[in-house]
Amino acid sequence: MEDVEIKKENETIIEAEETKDEDTKENLDKITSLKSLGPFIAARENSKNTVYLSDVPSICKEQPCMLGVDEAGRGPVLGPMVYGISYCPLESKKALVDLGCADSKQLTEEKRDIIFNELNTLEYANSCIGWAVEIISPNVISTSMYRRTKCSLNEVSMDSAMGLIQHAIDAGVNIAEVYVDTVGPPEKYQEKLLKRFPNFKITVAKKADSTYPIVSAASICAKVTRDHALKVWQFPEGLVIKDNAFGSGYPGDPVTKRFLTENIDLVFGFPRLVRFSWSTAENALADKAYEMEFDEPDSEKPKYAGTKLTKFFKGTTKTGEVKREECRFFKQCHLDNVVEF
Amino acid sequence: MSITLDFDIQQLDNKRPMQLHYLPAKIVGDGECTDVDKHFNNYTRDTPEFGKGILSNALRGYPLLGKRESVPKGYKGLVLQETDENQADRQLRLTGTFQDFTYWNYDKVPSKGDGYQQALVMLEVAEALAAPISEDALENEMKLQQQAKKENA
Repeated sequence: MEDVEIKKENETIIEAEETKDEDTKENLDKITSLKSLGPFIAARENSKNTVYLSDVPSICKEQPCMLGVDEAGRGPVLGPMVYGISYCPLESKKALVDLGCADSKQLTEEKRDIIFNELNTLEYANSCIGWAVEIISPNVISTSMYRRTKCSLNEVSMDSAMGLIQHAIDAGVNIAEVYVDTVGPPEKYQEKLLKRFPNFKITVAKKADSTYPIVSAASICAKVTRDHALKVWQFPEGLVIKDNAFGSGYPGDPVTKRFLTENIDLVFGFPRLVRFSWSTAENALADKAYEMEFDEPDSEKPKYAGTKLTKFFKGTTKTGEVKREECRFFKQCHLDNVVEF
Repeated sequence: MSITLDFDIQQLDNKRPMQLHYLPAKIVGDGECTDVDKHFNNYTRDTPEFGKGILSNALRGYPLLGKRESVPKGYKGLVLQETDENQADRQLRLTGTFQDFTYWNYDKVPSKGDGYQQALVMLEVAEALAAPISEDALENEMKLQQQAKKENA
């Protein structure tokens, strides 16, 4: 009798847990406030990219909108790079200003967190401003830059920016104007964007985040997302770092420097929080890990320029011994004599 | 100089099977590789967009594409180890065996064109060279040779 009761009790506990699981699951699919940002990111695989789109305010589907694009975490050797977009009707500029979306570089981390939270929770803001981010995993950054046909960080960036704009279009946002912040030369970037989105009025400018509030809002979304991605980073390598204090990720930061020197595996190098393709990371590994040689990338040019005349003298060594050509069949099959191993 | 393989046939069946990765990189270092699970296996993903059974991962930021491979039929994979390779009489000890492994290419889908796959031709060559030839087959062959000589003369 008692046994049965215990069993029943257990069952209810399990049920309760299950429903709790479902609850959190629902929450993990949506970012509705600053508080839900961290858990959302933590629930995703950090070796892959993650895209998140907020709900599109219905007014953004009807009225012509402006859309801002900015990125965060381009330079650091650690963590993801985050691309962000935000959009609102051309008439709703005031909401951006009221939120405090001014020059995002002037804002403290705390202030950015507050604005991000209000953007998502206050009715006057979330009824007219929508946003989206792509978290580009450091693992993806490394593997893109180390491909046989190299894909530069600029290409990764542009693809991400254009991908996010496309997501917004697909979600029904009525885009009229696009503003993009850039560090590089604006002309080329603008040309490329116009080619892909010929119907929008596109402005690419340096320091656009201090000029255009909508870019500033995008910048805040990107920056807050990157900061949180680092805070909730869980190492599949099993590493535990107190408060995830790896510093700013910039090579000059002593905390980052220490993290890089203390977490090297002789074979695998760094945990994949680190961007292997950064010269800081490459140099550190050259010093402290096993040397590792991969196949040459395909970019090497073939050097063939016809048969050389000296080829006919190559059959013997200096002392006159005859060198035997390897059998072509074996050579093509990558087979060779081995006496020692 | 000699090399001794220091194990008997019974050990082959008793050894614990090992997990192996065939990597497209030369690692200039000697020693035990710890935490393969955490640093590497943890990150292996199915990548069906490249084909059935194709896996992806990365090593030091280099993108890898791989595939599970079995040791050729009739063969067994062995892992041998020695303590000192500079001795005149070298001794190799058996540390483990394997029946399959993961083959990895650097940013290239594994295919018949890979060096490893091509080198497997050696198995057929070896078989042809080592297969016993019957007395009859030998005589037959000699007859054919003589006939050919006559015709040429």
